[in-house]
Parts: sequence; structure tokens; C-alpha cells
Amino acid sequence: MSHKHPDHDNWEAVIGLEIHVELNTKSKLFSVAPNHFGDEPNTNITEVCTGQPGALPVLNKEAVRKAVQFGCAIQAEIAKFSKFDRKSYFYPDSPRNFQITQYDQPIVKGGTIIAEVNGEEKSFAVNRVHLEDDAGMLKHFSTFAGVDYNRAGCPLIEIVSEPCIHTPQEAVAYAMMIKAILQYIDVSDCNMDEGSLRIDTNVSVRPKGEKELRNKIEIKNMNSFSFMEMALKSEIHRQIEEYLTNPNVPQDQIIKQATYRWDPEKKETVLMRRKETADDYRYFPEPDLVPIILTDTYIEDIRQALPELPLQRERRYVRNFDLSRHQAFALTSDKALADYFEEALKTCSNARSLSNWLLVEFAGRLKDSGETILSIGIKPLHIATLVNLIDQGKITGRIAKSVADDMMARPGIDPAIIVADNPDYQPLNDQAQIEGFVNQVIADNAQSVADYKAGRDKAFAFLVGQVMKLCRGKASPQLVNELLKDRIEKMKI
Amino acid sequence: MYNQSAIEIRDQFVRGERTAVSIARYYLDRIAKFENQIGSFLKVYEDKALYQAEQLDKKRAANQSLGKLAGIPIAVKDNILVKGEIATCASKFLTNYRAPYQATVVDLLLAEDAIIIGKTNMDEFAMGSSTENSALQKTHNPWNLKCTPGGSSGGSAAAVAARLCPLALGSDTGGSVRLPGAFCGVVGFKPTYGRVSRYGLVAYGSSLDQIGPLSVYTADTALMMEVIGRNCTRDSTSIPEGPEEYLSQFKNSIQGMKIGVPWQFLDNLADESRHAFEQAIESMKQQGAQIVEVDLSILKYAIAVYYILATAEASTNLARFDGIRYGQRSPRAKTLEEVYDFSKEDGFGAEVKRRIMLGTFVLSAGYQDAYYRKAQKVRTLMLRSYKEAFSKCDLIATPVSPFAAFEMGSIQDPVQMYLQDIYTVGVNLAGLPAVSIPNSLTKSGMPLGLQLIGPQKEDRRVLNVAHFLEKILPFHNATPKFVNEEVKL
Repeated sequence: MSHKHPDHDNWEAVIGLEIHVELNTKSKLFSVAPNHFGDEPNTNITEVCTGQPGALPVLNKEAVRKAVQFGCAIQAEIAKFSKFDRKSYFYPDSPRNFQITQYDQPIVKGGTIIAEVNGEEKSFAVNRVHLEDDAGMLKHFSTFAGVDYNRAGCPLIEIVSEPCIHTPQEAVAYAMMIKAILQYIDVSDCNMDEGSLRIDTNVSVRPKGEKELRNKIEIKNMNSFSFMEMALKSEIHRQIEEYLTNPNVPQDQIIKQATYRWDPEKKETVLMRRKETADDYRYFPEPDLVPIILTDTYIEDIRQALPELPLQRERRYVRNFDLSRHQAFALTSDKALADYFEEALKTCSNARSLSNWLLVEFAGRLKDSGETILSIGIKPLHIATLVNLIDQGKITGRIAKSVADDMMARPGIDPAIIVADNPDYQPLNDQAQIEGFVNQVIADNAQSVADYKAGRDKAFAFLVGQVMKLCRGKASPQLVNELLKDRIEKMKI
Repeated sequence: MYNQSAIEIRDQFVRGERTAVSIARYYLDRIAKFENQIGSFLKVYEDKALYQAEQLDKKRAANQSLGKLAGIPIAVKDNILVKGEIATCASKFLTNYRAPYQATVVDLLLAEDAIIIGKTNMDEFAMGSSTENSALQKTHNPWNLKCTPGGSSGGSAAAVAARLCPLALGSDTGGSVRLPGAFCGVVGFKPTYGRVSRYGLVAYGSSLDQIGPLSVYTADTALMMEVIGRNCTRDSTSIPEGPEEYLSQFKNSIQGMKIGVPWQFLDNLADESRHAFEQAIESMKQQGAQIVEVDLSILKYAIAVYYILATAEASTNLARFDGIRYGQRSPRAKTLEEVYDFSKEDGFGAEVKRRIMLGTFVLSAGYQDAYYRKAQKVRTLMLRSYKEAFSKCDLIATPVSPFAAFEMGSIQDPVQMYLQDIYTVGVNLAGLPAVSIPNSLTKSGMPLGLQLIGPQKEDRRVLNVAHFLEKILPFHNATPKFVNEEVKL
């Protein structure tokens, strides 16, 4: 699955993303029931969200506001007139057996997402964003299935992209930026584990240069960005292979409309159901609701009140802190992380180093734990202190890595204290002692010395390494470099 | 007492001349005597009503302020939810459905100290024009027990006609308050769409439904409207106005009023009905009204448009009855598909199934443009037609139905049944206020009604003229013979 087929290079993928986002309003979209995850089943319900006879929907104005905020944040057109429609389908998680959604007149039209992909800024077009209510959740037990209506009626915005995404990396960058924007304007928790951010994708492939779109399939159930990337990679490969291994079959017979789900165990897309014909949802205007009519003032006020958005923050980081675009994007993609970074900057001015420690060193240490720098309890002040200790020469870079390991093991302890408590972390500044080690290494490695003198720099690095070993990493590499060079130069050949 | 108005009864209670318990007891006794022949109630709240009456008597004794409906026993159509009580909508599907919340109108009634005396029979899910579609029982017209009381609010109309209670609530989607009102010789009023809250009314046609009162006297309907005609924050289609005053605004003249009559549209009226209608118009003329011809020929499409739009909305409104959350679930169902299929198969009657299928069809891919969308466009033309007509007149007058009440079982063809609504459905499509008042009696002694229709929000004008005409029309508060007996207290 991972081998590269040269023929595949002549193909491109066409990807569209549909992202469902649960808004973090206090109550649901059409009922006063609390909009809250994780409570006892069927406790956050009213007659409206359980589809009792005679119940009527009443629109949550806060949800409208949040939808408009998002529309403004992606520079889309906010529809001054939009309306709701009934979308009919039968399923136990649907309390009325019709969803209230926006079919042909959504509240937000168009929009742009600018995200960094492999170091470059790329622009992606959004087709529309609309409001709709969520369904309940089916829970399966051994002898029966139960329905929990806590989630039924929760407010969603559905963000539909144009089919303008061409690689899995682009898809991830696009989705991450949307998530970041949602967090920055505080309209959603964006918690993929809890289902407050859900991504479905439509994928098709075609030979490069071909203008028409070929048949696409839908992939559901990818509940992380990395799963999405894997699923897309896998599916794109599968589709191209299908075309390549069936050269005599008519093109529209090779890939047929279907829905797949991502299987994280098998690490491949698995067919859920074929879609022979399009579903007939019998959309018609919702007679129990009046249209949403917005004024220019309402929209402008929201636009003016938007906070700094991820792209603006990213550009600020590049401008003010001299970070690379990639570093700035990685930091600002997660609002909490960017906030953490700026908090640390209050006591440490080395932005580049801080960024490296957050994005590389600690990120690497956190990777398999499922935690983040925030959840594990390491304070921004402490990362700042660590960087300061290095910059002040109080510890070497190498020692700092051990200190970082200690901070991971005992989160919340000030690194200055960790250093003070551990004699091994005290830097070796005794030049005489280092000179002693230098002499020893030179004596033990005559061949390497000769190699270095003959012009092989690698030999020198080896010698430095040997000295650092003897110093148990506590000496400043710079000092060791100087002393070693000096000693070798002074040596008689 | 049974020929007294609700207002008179309330006043007697408030003045201390009668106790609430005696009033309730009186009507409960009438129910006990006549109900088994009429069948208007699905449930009589005997204990509850007497309890409410006791509380009310205590309130009065303690000199607490009393509501506008104090002591009046009121019947409520069984598609309007009373919290904690079964609401069947006259369907097998909901014989076990206990309402977990209450309709706004019921809250309003209780806040004004009304006594809810019971729930009345209806066509199943309000689909029908004769109450024959009730899955639970038959209701007989007090004027002739072989005849239907009209529908779908037949139970409420029959109860009022038989003086089993002075006031009742019904619901009107295509004529379901006005038609039974006409068939039973009582006043039936449909408010402007949005005037009365639909919260707690089991929905049939969402853009057409309105709850409306039925009473012997127009003044009682006006009183009821003063209580229930107001904005409700739980109904997004509720107009942001009200309550209005009606009783204090009654005028004693229709001098100079312009009454529009769509003569063209009435071409096919049977002789007796035509004669009765023309007499009513003549009376109005004599009282100083000006009769103006108006063009409502577009209404020849009204039945078609109504049965497309109402059934479309109904097909989605009734989708929630699926055997999953409440109501009856078919015991023979083993899979999810079967729960859906068998529960609906067993729970719904033929007419309900018919309308759900029709509504689903007109919304389905490939047909929606030709049926649903086309019907919406024609609806707009009807709105314009009415508006144009009202630029020439203050109210429009028509008969309520082509005939008086027909014998039960005499109309088997569903489409022929639909044609009963020919004069009433246009009003719902345009959201207009309209009333049916008893006009005269046929040779065989059956009531014929007169319909008055006003522009949107002119409920007051409609009630005003109805109140005036009540005094001059030949019907003159006639009472069905067999209920014309006093029941000893």
C-alpha cells in the first residue's frame, strides 16, 4: 500500500470536505434543552427535541450569531435572507424523522480558507456554511439498541468546501485551519473525540489534465486528522489502482458511488453501503419557522468584533518573532498552544528556541501519551525558564534534554529546581578538567586526529563526542570545541 | 341553564348566585344523560372538573380575583394536549399517549379559571370533514342522530350544540371548526393564522392549522378569543400582537359595511342552500350593508391546492409516529423496518394513510415542481385574489358548505368528501379570519351556516358582524329538540 507506483504520479485526486461542527451555545438549536456533552442519557431533552406531538421549534439566536461569526471569519458572504427546510428520512436517532436544515438558501455563502501546506500559503474555496440540527445517538447493547436524545437538536454548522483540495496534506491543512478559526472565535469545542467536529470527505481521482470529475466515493468515521490523512492516502491509491488495472472497463463503471468508513485497525477504507440512486429527502421549506433576516448593521457589528484570527496571528509571529512560516502555522493552528507560547514569551524573549522546544522537543515526548503540554500540567513559565537556563549558559543543550525528560515525569516542578537538585546537571566549567579529558581523547584516538588533520571534519566531530562522553555531557560543546581545536593545533605532527 | 351563555354563567358564579361545583355538576349530568346517544366526548374529566370547581369555589369564598372564564366548563378537542392526560387525536396510534406537557391554549384557559370538562372526538389526526374517520367512536349530530356532526372538530361542535358545555375548542385546517359549526348550528370561528398559539396542538397542516372556539353565542367566542388570541414565544409562527378586545368593541350596526360576494364561485350550490344564502344577503342589505360582487374564481383550484399542501406538511408532521418513542408499537414487529411498517399499518386509519401517501408523493423527486411548488404559487395567487377582493369590500360572505349535514356513511368516495370543504379551505390557504354562524334551518330541520371572512388580522371585524347578524338571522338560537330537556339538578 505504501509502495510508490510511478504511474500514480500522472493522476490527481479531487477532494471535497464536509465538516460538521457543533456550536457551543448554551441550549440547542430549536429547543431550550441544555447543549452539553457527556450527561446521563435522555436528561438534556424537552418535548421539542424528542419530537413530541404538538411541539414546535424556536430558533436559538446565539446559534445564528455564531454561524455569522464564522462566515465573517472566512470572509464569506452572509446571506441577509436565509431559511430552513425539512429534510425527511427515517431513523431512530431522528426524533421527528425529518431534520431541520438549510437546503437552498444557506446563511453563509462562499468563503476562503488560507492554510500553510509544506511551507507555502494555499487558498481553498468554501462553497457554503449552513445551520442544521443534530441527531441523537444510538447506543447498542447486547439484546437491544437504545437511543439517547441528548444530542438530538444540538446546533450544527455544516461547512462544505469546493472540490478544490488535491492532496491528503492539503485536506489536513484545510481542516486544521477551520478548526483553528472555530477555536479562535470560540464557537465550538472542536473536540473530535466527543464528536463536536466531524469530517466526511468525498474523493475521486482523474488523470492530470482531465477537466471532468469522475465518480466519487464518500468516507466517514475518520475521527482524527491523522486518520483522515491515512484514509485519503489509502483511498486515492485504491482508486488509481482500480483505474489502472481495469483499462478496458468504461470509466464510470470502475468507481461507483458508495460510502466507506475508515477502519483504524485494518488501516484501510471499508465499504459501508452502495449508493445506487441518490436519496430523496423531499426538501421543502420548514413551515414552523420564519426566515432569518439579517441587517447590514448586525453583520458589520459581528465582523468588527472578531478577535485576531489564526492567519493574522501567524503572520504576526513571523513578523514580530522572526519565526518560520511553518513554525508560526504550527503554533497558531491550536489556539491554546499559541496562548501558551505567548504566556511563556512574557518571561523569555527567545521565541525561536521556545518554539522549538514546544513544537519539536516536548511535542515528541508527548506524542504517544495522548496528552498535550497543557493537559500534562507543565506551565508556560517553566518552559520559559528552561530556555532561559540554556541561554544563560547555566545548562547545556544536552542537559536541557534530560531536564525536559524530568519535567515530563514530574510535571509542575520548576526546571530551575530540577537543575539545582541534580548534581549531574551542574555544568562542567572547570577548564582544567576538560583539558584533561581533551588530552586523554587525543592520546587514545591518534588515527582520528590524523584524519582530522588530513581534512576530514567528521573525525573532529567524533573527537568532540568522545570528550563530551567523558564530561558526561556537562561541558559546553563550544568550550570543548575550542579546547580540542586549540590542543590539536598546538600538537606537534 | 343550558341555554345561557358562557358569559352569563360566569357572571352568575362570580356574583355568587351559583357555585362552580353546581355548574360543573349540571353539565356533567347533561353529559350523563345525552352523551351515549351523541358520542361527542372521548374522555369526560368528571373528577378533575369537580375538583377544579371546588378549588374555584374556595377561591371565590376567599375573595381572590377570578379569571375571565371562571367556572365555565370547556371541552377541548383531543388533538390539544392537556398535561398528564391521554391525547389520542382519535387514533389507535395514541391510545396510550399521555401528554408530557401542555398546550399554550390550555395554560391560558386554566389561568382564567376555566374548567376543562373533557376531550372531544374528532376525525383521526384532524383529517376529515365528518368525524367519521375517528378510529375510536362515532359522533352523532344532535339535530339528527343519523347525521354526521361535520368534521374534523365534530365532537366539540356536537357537545356545544347539545348543550353539554357552553364552550369548546376545536382546530381548523381546511374548515374543521367552521364546517362542524355549520352542521351543528353553532358558532365556529377560525382566527387569523398565527393569532392563537399552535404549541401543544398536534400538527396536521402547519401553515394552515389554527385553534378556534365553538359556542352557541358569538359573544362567548369573542370572550374565548380575548383569552387565547395572543402571542406565544414557543410558537415561531405566532403573530407578535394581542390580546385584542372584542366584547367591548361590538357595534350595533352594519350600516355602510361593504359585503363582498363571489357569486360566480357559488354557481353549483344546491337550491335550498342557495336560497338560504341569498336570504342572508338580503337581510344584510336591509340592515344597511352594501353588497359588492368580488372575483374569487381562482378558488376553483382551492381544493387541489389544499390537498397538495396540507398533505405534504402532514406527511412530515406525522412521520414522528413511528413506534419508536411513544404511542403504540406493533407487537409483531421484529426488526426496525417492521417497527416502522407495522406500527403505522396498525396505528393509522385509511384516510390518514391516504393523505400521508399523497403528501409524500407531491414532495418526491420528479414531482415536487409539478405539484408542491405549483400549488404554493397558486396559493400566492389566491392571497392576491383575496387582497384584491378586500380592496372593494370589508368582509366576504359565502355559504359554509354546499349542503347541510349528511347521513353517516352516505359519502364513501374520499374526493367527494373533500369537496365539502370547497368554501372553507381558501380561508386557511390565505390565513384569514373567518366565522361560521347558524343562518337558518332546512326543510328537514338541519342547520345551514353562513360564513364571514375578513382580511388578515381583522378578527374583530368578523366577530363584530357575526355578533350583529346573530340577532337577525332566522336561525335565532334554535336548539336541537332532543336535548331540549332540563336535567334535574
